[in-house]
Amino acid sequence: MNPQLSGIFSQLKEPLFAGLATSAFSVLFGLHSADVILASGGSALGWAVLQAMPQSGSPAFATFFAALAAGLYAEIAARVRRRPATLYMIASIIPLVPGGGMYYTMLSSLEGSTYRSVELGLSTIMTAFAIAAGLAISNVLARMVFSSTIYSILKKRKIFQKPDKL
Amino acid sequence: MLSEDLLLFAADASRLMLESGGETYRAEYIAMGIIISQGGTEAECFATSTGLMLSFSGEDGKVRAVVRRIKRHGMNLEKVYRIDNMVRHLLLGDIDIEEAARQLDEVERMRDRPVWIRMIASAFGAGWFSLLFKGKTVDALTAAAMGALLSILIYACQRLKLPGFLSSFTGGAFAALASLGAAYAGLPINTDAVIIGVIMLLVPGVAITNAIRDTIAGDLIAGLARGVDAVITAAAISAGAGGAYALWQLLLSGGQA
Repeated sequence: MNPQLSGIFSQLKEPLFAGLATSAFSVLFGLHSADVILASGGSALGWAVLQAMPQSGSPAFATFFAALAAGLYAEIAARVRRRPATLYMIASIIPLVPGGGMYYTMLSSLEGSTYRSVELGLSTIMTAFAIAAGLAISNVLARMVFSSTIYSILKKRKIFQKPDKL
Repeated sequence: MLSEDLLLFAADASRLMLESGGETYRAEYIAMGIIISQGGTEAECFATSTGLMLSFSGEDGKVRAVVRRIKRHGMNLEKVYRIDNMVRHLLLGDIDIEEAARQLDEVERMRDRPVWIRMIASAFGAGWFSLLFKGKTVDALTAAAMGALLSILIYACQRLKLPGFLSSFTGGAFAALASLGAAYAGLPINTDAVIIGVIMLLVPGVAITNAIRDTIAGDLIAGLARGVDAVITAAAISAGAGGAYALWQLLLSGGQA
């Protein structure tokens, strides 16, 4: 195989793994056929964005953009499928979420390495916050373009002033 | 429908939404949406991940309220979609309240996926995650086998109605012991890559992210409750894994001495 092509393949390998892992997890989360495929696409996109971000910057920064991309994808998929965006959001952020970080934080605090635990804990919270912020912003952006049925009906009947966020 | 029945119906829909892993604000809005669609006024709902309160004023002007405690915490996104869709149609006037009650009943009785499907999905999830975290093929295959066993273990814990802390503890201990055992038995594996793949089935990564999403959305109490739940789960898993490590080293040194 020519080197350029194998270079592209090695770039695509990780998003592919992320997508396949997500498809397994979305089955565990109760999604059905077409939704599973859509959600896997979202997580592959998120991981591709994460990979494309410069490695020198802060990891939370890269995760933010990955979550933003996955969130926008989820909003579009939700409009196409006429289902709540959260179905695709929760599934597509599975590879991004700091589950491993939480585990290592707690493990190092049990082992008595307090500094390492604080360091890992802070970076875990930063990552989770970056994902949440990315999803919130993608939600606001989507709301500017499309209108969400259930809330707009409730708003029209003057029941809520909320929610403009998330 | 009587006002009391309406109140109980709305509270049940909201409870089911929270039990299926829906967001807190969504649970609040569907309860209020159901009540508004039937002409109730002054509907207010306060939900957290451990319970919800709902009150409204009926057509006779009397205020009614109900409290629901939430004990089960699962993740079933299909249920979230079904309930959300039911409330949307109710608000649009496509279906009447009897039809909505029938649909909610259907959702409530929806079964989780059978064990063998969960087993296969866990195996694939653990395997692909192990590859994603720089594991080799042999690591992925080991992680997949352990993921399948772990899903049976979790299922057994659920059947025995063990508290969440204990089943996370058992799961963490199993993941660590099994991968150390596999390495000891001579499989050429990288134990870290295997453990992280298997542990991904247990860790509350989505839970901590949802906690922060709730907090950003202004549901501070719900966000705190979810966050504490996630931290406790992570602590349980790592206590299990750490304990298993310590035990393993003790056994090995005991064997040599």
